[in-house]
Amino acid sequence: MGGPFEAYSDLDESAERLKAADAGERRVAVMELGHAGDPDAIPLLAGVLADPDAGVRREGARALGEYDGLEAAEAIALALIDADPDVAAAAADSAAELRDPAAADPFIALAGHASASVRAAALRALKELRRGDALKPALEALRDPDPSVRVQAVGVLGFLKREETIPALRIATADADPQIRRAAVSALAFAQSAAATEAIHAALRDEDWMVREVAADTLGNGAAGALVAPALIAALDDAFWQVRLKAARSLGRLRAVNAAPRIAASLVAPQVNLRKEAAALGEIAAASSRPHLEAARDDPDPDVRKTVGWALRQIDRRAAAREA
Amino acid sequence: MKRSGAISMGMDGLNNAVIPGHATPEQYTKEITIANDGIVNQAAVLKYAQRCYGIIEELDRFGIRFAKTENGDFAVKKVHHLGSYVLPMPNGDTVKKALYRQLRRARLLISNRYMATRLLTGADGRIAGAIAVNTRSAEFLVIRAKTVILCMGAAGRLGLPASGYLFGTYENAANSGDGYAMAYHAGAALANLECFQINPLIKDYNGPACAYVAGPFGAYTANNEGARFIECDYWSGQMMLEFFNELKSGKGPVFLKLNHLHEDTIAEIESILHKVERPSRGEFHAGRGTDYRRDMIEMHISEIGFCSGHSASGVFVDEFARTTVPGLYAAGDMASVPHNYMLGAFTNGAIAGEDAAEQAYGLDFAEIDPVDIARERERVLAPTRREDGIPPNQIEYKTRRLVNDYLQPPKVRRKYELAQARFAEIRDDLENRMLARNAHELLRALEAASILDCADMAAFASLYRQESRWGLYHLRTDYPAKDEANWFCHTLLSKRDGRMTGEKRAVDPYIVPVADDEKALYGKQRLRASA
Amino acid sequence: MPLAATQTSVPVVVDNDKCIADKGCTVCVDVCPLDVLRISEMTGKAYMAYDECWYCMPCACDCPTGAVTVNIPYLLK
Repeated sequence: MGGPFEAYSDLDESAERLKAADAGERRVAVMELGHAGDPDAIPLLAGVLADPDAGVRREGARALGEYDGLEAAEAIALALIDADPDVAAAAADSAAELRDPAAADPFIALAGHASASVRAAALRALKELRRGDALKPALEALRDPDPSVRVQAVGVLGFLKREETIPALRIATADADPQIRRAAVSALAFAQSAAATEAIHAALRDEDWMVREVAADTLGNGAAGALVAPALIAALDDAFWQVRLKAARSLGRLRAVNAAPRIAASLVAPQVNLRKEAAALGEIAAASSRPHLEAARDDPDPDVRKTVGWALRQIDRRAAAREA
Repeated sequence: MKRSGAISMGMDGLNNAVIPGHATPEQYTKEITIANDGIVNQAAVLKYAQRCYGIIEELDRFGIRFAKTENGDFAVKKVHHLGSYVLPMPNGDTVKKALYRQLRRARLLISNRYMATRLLTGADGRIAGAIAVNTRSAEFLVIRAKTVILCMGAAGRLGLPASGYLFGTYENAANSGDGYAMAYHAGAALANLECFQINPLIKDYNGPACAYVAGPFGAYTANNEGARFIECDYWSGQMMLEFFNELKSGKGPVFLKLNHLHEDTIAEIESILHKVERPSRGEFHAGRGTDYRRDMIEMHISEIGFCSGHSASGVFVDEFARTTVPGLYAAGDMASVPHNYMLGAFTNGAIAGEDAAEQAYGLDFAEIDPVDIARERERVLAPTRREDGIPPNQIEYKTRRLVNDYLQPPKVRRKYELAQARFAEIRDDLENRMLARNAHELLRALEAASILDCADMAAFASLYRQESRWGLYHLRTDYPAKDEANWFCHTLLSKRDGRMTGEKRAVDPYIVPVADDEKALYGKQRLRASA
Repeated sequence: MPLAATQTSVPVVVDNDKCIADKGCTVCVDVCPLDVLRISEMTGKAYMAYDECWYCMPCACDCPTGAVTVNIPYLLK
């Protein structure tokens, strides 16, 4: 194609240049195949993965990320088990680009591979593909010795949003690694069952503050307000203000009236971010919060003043609605 | 194509995502109306708000990675109690790559390194095509078209950054305002250009501070006492005025404050901010030994520009992205749909594409007058035909330095008149003495012409609207108050009989009403801010 | 008025040992939004021909061999 337009290179020509003696020239041919946008380039790119030069193989793994579907996935999976770590890393990134559920097959097969980085990359690819038959390998991977694998397994299960994942995710909320506990608590957000809520509930007492923060946040999503309110109120005494903040916000979302006096106490907290959570008092809109909010009207922080003003108006509106 | 546009390297988040369950199109429309002091075409805003979620889903299918919860749902962040529109993109560096991949898969025809210079219109006023020049070979190209979509980005090289480096701009420096100039010369109306773009940014680096990315993590803009001072709820001219006032007061400079956050939280913010939108940001901080854990980050305000992403200005369009020239469309930062940002560019681009394709279907090409082509060829190639003269970078520097000297708000009539006189002198140099020794310099020469056109439009539009509105964006010292009785309207600038003219255009009746107590609420906050 | 050649230090640095522009690669030149990179006719390697950089970094990030480094332009670093 000539004239003012970008070329769509001839696959045969690129294939010919894949035979060049110079690795740099082969690499340029691989890049062309990546940008060809023609699925007929996939088998040629799969062949590149046998190139003696690791740089060329890495370019091949990267170029395969331009394509989707089972055939591309099989080639990417081959690159994922390349001995060169840079090739494997490029393949892992390309695998995460896949969107066609048919691409899942080779990664389900690799979920039990001997190398932890391969297992993790395979599960990472499976997450977005949301295939039901990824459930079993993901459940098994939750017992993987390597935390980087377990965290991806939680992701696969979380994206599936299926009831049968709940027992396994519950166990993961007690994982030795805080990052996995965090992920597992978030992954349970979809579940409305008492068992799931109880597990998140327990995470409010986790030794890691970021797990507690996620738990406090997640509990605000659920319908089980009455069940979780006492635990969230207890979390308003957490040693970390970040946790107290999420607890207040969740209690606001749950409109937990009995939490209002305790949230009002945070209006005098030294952290402005926490005082700003006076917004929760607006969501709850209990008349009893009014004096605390009135006292905070002249807070030195403009954002706090704004949320206080907003909260007071919510109480007014609620009162007016009740009278009407 | 691969890395063009304002999002060359990617984007670290959407800040105007209207996602079911988090916000409604009506609520969004209302908030944008308030943030723009009421001067909006609500039909276009509402259409965007209704369509954008479908675009997000499409982008997700393209492989553009938005932040997701552990359940695979979009992880929308709540910034304040009003609405939730922030959707982070922790891997936003994949945006352009994924789009380019889709183009190649569809085997679309892609042209690179042709710079559009002028639009062509037929005798009936309808769009007839465009003229382009190759920035490597200076090859001159005439393109016939039934419909044309302008998507040429902001006018980012209007003001001069404080560093004095011509290309150290807030916007992608490739966006030199050519689209505004082309629309103007084709006779299209441009709306509210006096509503400048001025942004808070990291001093000297001139990139966005991304308070909206760090905000959900608890970071905020602070004065030299480490205290918040911004009263306004929206990223708006009002907010920028508060920012400007603080900078000028004894409480300046202004900082982005993160050092109160936990180490782990800061690490998470760094991984987003230093990787995506402007990845050189990490290098900039490292060069000065700035550590978010210890130091606040000095901020400043940007040079002025035109950009609907951050204001209400641009080539005037309706809810189908149609301009006032039949067959001509505009989308993205250069079209008048306010607070477009990246998602607006995609959404309104889709709206424009659909309508332009439909309209083109039954049409014949409009006739092109060969005289128009000859005239444009002469204009474009003139700098290449001189043996001696003034290089484009000096023309550009002088224009932009004068923009800073005279057009930067607060706007003073006498200064604006001086600017117009100086711009006329530069125009004479540009038309008669500018020299381009190769195709690359020709590209810069043509950009310098667009920049000068934009500077003239900025001056004209600012003098036309005789009131103050939009906070710092249009703050006139001779008309310091907002004048709803006379100026609650769009101002349209256009070229008539070869001259720049202005007119008022009524704001269409609102589709989404804004209650008085909502308006009053913001008015009250502003009173307090200016007290 | 006559023209002068004024010196300027440019932010983009290319490692000629890693650069494969002489093998036909044009990635950095293609991705630059300001179009300021070129392939040298003398060395066959990429270099920054114009000091008009937005320090946006696609040239560095997209280079297949990691040959490109983008520094912050001196005037603002």
